[in-house]
Amino acid sequence: MRYLKEVLDSRELLANLTLREIRGQYKRTIFGQLWSLVNPLATMLVYTIVFAFILRVAPPPGDPSGLDIFAVWLLCGLLPWAFFSNTVQQGMGSIIANAGLVQKVYFSRIVLPLSKVGSVGYNWLFEMGVLVVVLVLCGSFVWPWLPGVLVMMVVLAMFAAGLALMLAVANVHFRDTQWFMSIVMQIWFYLTPIIYPLSLVEEQSEIYDGLLGTDITILDIYRLNPLERFVAVFRQLLYDNRWPDFGDVLFCTVSAVVALLIGVWVFRRNERGLAEAL
Amino acid sequence: MSDIAVRVDHVSKKFRLYHERNQSLKSTIMRGRRSVHEDFWALKDVGFEVPTGSTFGLIGSNGSGKSTLLKCLAKIYYPEKGTISYNGRIAALLEVGSGFHPELSGRENVFLNGSILGMSKKEITRKFDEIVDFSGVEEFIDQPVKNYSSGMYVRLGFAVAINVDPDVLVVDEVLSVGDADFQEKCRQKFIDFKEAGKTVILVSHAMNSVQEMCDHAAWLSHGDLVMMGEAEPTINAYLSSLHGGAQH
Repeated sequence: MRYLKEVLDSRELLANLTLREIRGQYKRTIFGQLWSLVNPLATMLVYTIVFAFILRVAPPPGDPSGLDIFAVWLLCGLLPWAFFSNTVQQGMGSIIANAGLVQKVYFSRIVLPLSKVGSVGYNWLFEMGVLVVVLVLCGSFVWPWLPGVLVMMVVLAMFAAGLALMLAVANVHFRDTQWFMSIVMQIWFYLTPIIYPLSLVEEQSEIYDGLLGTDITILDIYRLNPLERFVAVFRQLLYDNRWPDFGDVLFCTVSAVVALLIGVWVFRRNERGLAEAL
Repeated sequence: MSDIAVRVDHVSKKFRLYHERNQSLKSTIMRGRRSVHEDFWALKDVGFEVPTGSTFGLIGSNGSGKSTLLKCLAKIYYPEKGTISYNGRIAALLEVGSGFHPELSGRENVFLNGSILGMSKKEITRKFDEIVDFSGVEEFIDQPVKNYSSGMYVRLGFAVAINVDPDVLVVDEVLSVGDADFQEKCRQKFIDFKEAGKTVILVSHAMNSVQEMCDHAAWLSHGDLVMMGEAEPTINAYLSSLHGGAQH
């Protein structure tokens, strides 16, 4: 509890560091904040051409929204993923990037990875705002589901923050962590149904049925991935316009809380040694 | 308020001297160990008390453990043994302009740097004019700090730090920033500080400034506390040890 108070006391510092990231990020660019949109849009364009046009992946239309646009369906999963992936990777490097600060000033170190969650989250919020406009233009009645989307954004941010905290500490001790994680994130991306619908995995899973004579199917293992649940919930809210599956929301929330608790615990235990280990 | 501002109680700080350090996973696994090291005690059972309202100097040759002790005081390092207790708020000035973002304006950086040093937004807003005035960069306060001359950069950083207004101020050798005019301002600020009953702990190699400013001093040598007490006898003892009788 005392630690919580210390973190709460540093909330102004957290806000200032987050602002530093946000303001510094697109300084001296002509397009400024628009750059944060370019990356997901370019990815969307490539994936749409490859997967919808060439490979003809056909996700089920939104139920009950009736939307049937691959690019929009893709964005509903891609934007949360991009936030998650950027937060983890930037948060992981935040202590090393601020080595000078850590070695010269005392402050609650946890604000460094958390400020990355904030600054990447700010970009994400902006991207999601644009997505909502696109959804409305496509005829989706998304408004009633926006509070739910906001709640889930916070839950995903907690999950990402937890991982970033653990990895930030690991990265100080072993610089391999960042290289290793860039591969892990790539594999993780393809193991999450972002560019293909879950139904394709279901079909494969039915062919093989129970693995090694047990009741466990490929799908069961596949769905252990919390990001699969997050993507599902975001699509249910944004693309389908319906109440998300309760089991999915529960799974997301529990994994987010567990990740955050472990992250804070690991970080707290190692915080004092960081200045020396750098 | 009690008479003791800072109590350093049997503090020992260990560093590892690495003969081999495996910071990557591959080398750790290949060599079968994290590191080969021996312990080096940078501070050995150092203990003293700093009276409230005094200006306290830490002196000693290079490698004597002054900076390590300073970092322990600043809560950047944590001693292996012993404790350091404070009475009141402490601020450490080991570097000026920590966390300045080159692309942001001086104004934005004052708020950023101030909050890194532990000031609240209200406090910074209240002291903003004073900070800018002290730094002498009024005209350029809305320019990005990357366009500042190094002197302006350091002065702005110092102006923020000196306005943190702690009960105990820990200062590394940063007094030597800026031109003579600015140094005079700094000296005046330290005198004001002292008159307000605040405690200052400083590390310096410039014996005349230690002599001029400090009323108490501690002399460290190879991690041991050799002498501690009134400034003048301590400094004299230190100086005469340096000459080692070779001259006399």
